[in-house]
Amino acid sequence: MSTADTPINDRFAAEAVAYRPRHAGVVSAILATGTKTSGATAGAAPTGAMPAEPAMPTPAASGTGRPRRRNHHAEGLEAGKRTTRILLWIVLAAAMVLYGFPFLYLLFTSFKTPIDTIAVPPTILPKEWTLENYANALGRNGVLASFINSAQTAVISTLLSLVLAVPAAYGITRYKTPSGRVFIMAALVTRMVPPVAIGIPLASMMATAGLADTPIALSIAHTTISLPLSIWLMSSFFEAVPNDLEEAATVDGCSRLGALWRVVIPVVSGGIAVTAIFAFLASWNEFLFALLMTAIRSQTTPVVIANFQTQFGLDWGSMTALAAVYSIPVILLTLLLQRKIVAGMTLGAVKG
Amino acid sequence: MRISDRRFALYLMAPAALFLAVFVAYPLFRLVADSLFKISPIAGAPRDFVGLDNYVRAFASEAFMGAGWRTLAYTFVVVALEFALGLGMALLFTALGRKSEVWRTVFLYPLMIAPIVAGLLWKFLMIDNFGLIGTLLHQAGILQNPNQIGWLSDPGIVLFSVAVPDIWLTTSFMCLVLFAGLQNIPGDLIEAARLDGAKAPTLLFSIILPLLRPVIAVALVVRGIDAARAFDTILIQTNGGPQSASETMSLLIYRTMIRFGDPGLASAMGTIYLLAMLGVAFFAVATIWRPGKDN
Repeated sequence: MSTADTPINDRFAAEAVAYRPRHAGVVSAILATGTKTSGATAGAAPTGAMPAEPAMPTPAASGTGRPRRRNHHAEGLEAGKRTTRILLWIVLAAAMVLYGFPFLYLLFTSFKTPIDTIAVPPTILPKEWTLENYANALGRNGVLASFINSAQTAVISTLLSLVLAVPAAYGITRYKTPSGRVFIMAALVTRMVPPVAIGIPLASMMATAGLADTPIALSIAHTTISLPLSIWLMSSFFEAVPNDLEEAATVDGCSRLGALWRVVIPVVSGGIAVTAIFAFLASWNEFLFALLMTAIRSQTTPVVIANFQTQFGLDWGSMTALAAVYSIPVILLTLLLQRKIVAGMTLGAVKG
Repeated sequence: MRISDRRFALYLMAPAALFLAVFVAYPLFRLVADSLFKISPIAGAPRDFVGLDNYVRAFASEAFMGAGWRTLAYTFVVVALEFALGLGMALLFTALGRKSEVWRTVFLYPLMIAPIVAGLLWKFLMIDNFGLIGTLLHQAGILQNPNQIGWLSDPGIVLFSVAVPDIWLTTSFMCLVLFAGLQNIPGDLIEAARLDGAKAPTLLFSIILPLLRPVIAVALVVRGIDAARAFDTILIQTNGGPQSASETMSLLIYRTMIRFGDPGLASAMGTIYLLAMLGVAFFAVATIWRPGKDN
């Protein structure tokens, strides 16, 4: 890992700088990250790894450029002594193994034969690698349909969250009216509502509206979770956009709505991408509303996974296979987009 | 004609506000209203107004009070362990500097996993007979037999066992937030303290933790509220059992509503639970966040 090639090193350095505004609160630190992200993405596509910023000075660049020193040049909380660093690397390796092991075990189990999955005593690695569990899990009635339902619900919910949250957050941050202040507090309070408290009334409302057991009903329910978070995230991103930007646009003859659409939205596209990922993940992984509001037609995969253990006895093999298939795409996607997600996650924590 | 800025802002917020009013506020209103009725689970059956009777029944029931204490204990254990582990990892990543960045990213992966999957996975690891944890501890010579500890079947410890997936899922989040906070501690300050001969514990307790206080407060509140609402992981692992020993508030309300068919009582419980959560939320917001004043 220490021999990473130069472009990657540069990227880390740029990131380290972005993370290191001294003498500032967390909020501004994160806002700095957010601004940088959104600024850089204005032209590029909102996905993919960020390009390195060559203009960024890299004060901590060690290794490639300078002659290697025996002791790492430490600053602040970084460990300086070589032996300490080696020790810490060992601790990190142990922690990563422990932390990563459960999911690896899930993967290994999914490749075991169905009988081996419940062998006593269990083994870590499969004795015989097979795709049987995957064939069983995916071949089961309703499983593929549940994937489509999950994706459909998550996409509708994400779009709904964005369509509602983007203008609302803009109204809150740009005009700072008393009603805006009340509204953002109300959105924050909504985050505290336990889903179990509104699940049943919500389900009966949907039934009355004739939407029982549809992806629409479930995505509306999921939006009650993701909308408050989206409003908070988007507010933080808008906060980082200088006012002059749309003032200049309005002077040039743009209407306020036009300025928002043509000038501000492109600048915060990075922030919108972060918000979209969060809304998508919230819906993709949600279980309680899905359990309460779906039956056969619109069942999402988390409900199907949970049903495996009652309906078919304890079919651990298929269950692990399905869980793996369901989790891996989002893990890969989010690891690819990690820089944006890190910015958003910390923002979400600080703001709501 | 140009509308005023104030009105324009209102128009921008209206759709989201309307959505939250219809799909959050109104169901909450329905919940509170239902809590005042005795409701038969059969559709179309009559509703009898019983006033606060459901609340009296809730507070008188052992299950409700038990679930309340278990929810508190669960939340405390989850948040405390997560905080300790998350802080440890954040310090480790900070000490290793930017070369550990790749691993910091990998460390985030549980955050993307559905709680239901995490619950199943840990159930599989801790289950009696073919659970891997008991077997590994046995092979390491710590346990005399692999089933010596009934992680999910012993009422005395099950509440802590069901907390494990929750801790595993969100320690990364704690680490991430604390790491971001650590990056803002001025390096000069640490170096000055080091020059003065401060050792690691002093550095941690007298400098790092006090400086991190606002970040810690936010992280604890966010996670505390989530942990107090935990449902998926517990339902999939034990369904509240054995003998209700892992039945937290969300589960009790769910079971009262669905399994025991008493929507009135469940609504009363839900209302009390909601008020408790909102009380905590308001307290937290008033003392810690103060949104809009952080610039």
